[in-house]
Amino acid sequence: MSRLGQELRLFLRQRLAVPTLALLALLAAVSVAAGVTEIRRQAETIARIQPLQAAEEAVVAAWVSRDGDAGNAAYYTFHATWDRPSALAFAALGQRDVAPYVLRVRALALESQIHEGETYNAELALPGRFDWAFVLTFLAPLILIVLLHDLISGEREAGRLQALQAAGGRAGLWTRRAGLRAGLVFVAVAAPFVAGAAVSGAQAVEVLGVLAVAGLYLLFWTLVCLGVGALGRSSVANGAVLAATWVVLTLVLPALAHIAINSANPVRQGVELTLAQREAVHAGWDKPKDATLAAFFKVHPEWRDTPPVTSGFHWKWYYAFQHLGDLSVADPVRAYRRGLESRDAWTARVGLVLPAVGLQTTLHRMAGTDLAAQLAYQDRIRAFHERLRRFYYPYIFNETPFREGDFAKAPRWAEGD
Amino acid sequence: MPDLTAAEPAIDVRDLCVDRGGAPVLRNLRLSVNAGEVYALLGGNGAGKSTTLAVLMGLLRPAGGSVEVMGLDPATQADAVRRRIAYLPETVALYETLSAYENIAYFLGLSGDRPSRAEMDAALDAAGLQAGARTRRTGGFSKGMRQKVAIAMALLREVPVLLLDEPTTGLDPVAASDFNALVGGLRERGAAVLMVTHDLLGAADCADRIGFLAGGGIVEEVRADDGLDVLALHRRFGEAAAG
Repeated sequence: MSRLGQELRLFLRQRLAVPTLALLALLAAVSVAAGVTEIRRQAETIARIQPLQAAEEAVVAAWVSRDGDAGNAAYYTFHATWDRPSALAFAALGQRDVAPYVLRVRALALESQIHEGETYNAELALPGRFDWAFVLTFLAPLILIVLLHDLISGEREAGRLQALQAAGGRAGLWTRRAGLRAGLVFVAVAAPFVAGAAVSGAQAVEVLGVLAVAGLYLLFWTLVCLGVGALGRSSVANGAVLAATWVVLTLVLPALAHIAINSANPVRQGVELTLAQREAVHAGWDKPKDATLAAFFKVHPEWRDTPPVTSGFHWKWYYAFQHLGDLSVADPVRAYRRGLESRDAWTARVGLVLPAVGLQTTLHRMAGTDLAAQLAYQDRIRAFHERLRRFYYPYIFNETPFREGDFAKAPRWAEGD
Repeated sequence: MPDLTAAEPAIDVRDLCVDRGGAPVLRNLRLSVNAGEVYALLGGNGAGKSTTLAVLMGLLRPAGGSVEVMGLDPATQADAVRRRIAYLPETVALYETLSAYENIAYFLGLSGDRPSRAEMDAALDAAGLQAGARTRRTGGFSKGMRQKVAIAMALLREVPVLLLDEPTTGLDPVAASDFNALVGGLRERGAAVLMVTHDLLGAADCADRIGFLAGGGIVEEVRADDGLDVLALHRRFGEAAAG
């Protein structure tokens, strides 16, 4: 039997070795199963939307085509958008927990439509969901500490240390022993991930990337354990120091950093933007039509020379003040986004010195579930919404009848949007 | 086992000085053990017996003097020295979840040795561990049984030097006598044995020479062929320890 084989036998004969590893593997498997289930649910929701969208559109088309009113068509037709999860999203759910991944928009004022969906589940937003990233970030280091805190001190306390050293067991022995234990922890946490990735259809290079990041994180904790063990204290002292290190590095400092970043980068709630825009839009009802249309024609002069609004209500005027509602919150929306991006950038900087933070941000980025992915989805919605406006405005401002066949010409959300 | 001439002691300690925690423990210790010789180093608590062994294994660096084990300096050639020595601590601690066979395979594996089952049986026969115990986990072994496993490891490694740290402490008289007989067998195989002990009777039973360690050095040394009288030794030990 090889030396590694002997180490493995010795390790597996320890009373708590197998139960400890089995517990970690079980937790990792449960987290992967929960992640896969959640992502599958999201994917199924997205799949269900498309036929429902077509059915609803048919109903609207049948009703609108009776009088051909383009304003009605634009008002009553919801257009589904969605943010399909990546194949790795199951492992690190990130923003997909709390941010909308499906949004049905109309050609009305957009920003309130985007931000009214940000109704965070406070219970989920605080601790985060129990996903694989959570198990890797918080639980795997604890298991490593359990398995490595007495690597050398345990031998000293058992009276075997001198015999081991005299038998030739020096750096090679500890490297082999620590490497084996860390390797088994890695396997326990990585195997369920690989299974989940296979089920989700992740690319091999993506899987390898995540495994490399996980390996580096576990290597960091292994080195911390070895470093503390090298101080020559008792197993109890090593365990206490390592537990305190875990608390500080994974809980206390990230929490303090979170508070500091949020305090230094104050950001309004998204729902405040919704409210601000709603108020601006509703105020449009009370403003003179000419003033509203004049403000609109400043930004869209191409519609200035269309037939004038003479009636009490006209869709031109309605869509103009909807449009102006978006413009009224353009600055707060930009500030909101800058604030979020600033927080994100500072979090990334903190991640350079706090491995737990760095791991989480890296996994969320790799899984496409980070803030950047969420903002990118919003950008795609804005671009799609702009296409909707460009599609409906010629009908509305030129007062062109909107026929049933015109529905088929409307922009459709596509995977590439 | 290497053949050593009398001119090249297996263990050669000259003017060894060791400080621990800023306090001197050994001062100008001179000691030599030849192949096929059992040397018992006696001394009171804190006299520096175990410190001497730690220096011989390269676990402590001396503050002065020279130390050679099989012609090698433990301070600079620790790995090479450790390949040539077997060390039995006061309490032989084996891996309790492994059997005697598995412990031997593990500890010998650390230095790259892979003894066959037949070789292990031969060594365990020589050490006196009954066959029925060899496949049992050592968690239930007595101190004497654990020592026999350790002796078997030393025999398998065919090391020329054995360092024994208080080997008979806690053994009943029969087991202590068995152990002393085992040590005698090691001498017959040509090993140089350095045994640090409080056990004057055991030392008188199996040692070729006995050194009294006090004040950081050997204050008196007697030879077995001087005709050892244990009671007289006991008095001399007390006188030596008192300085």
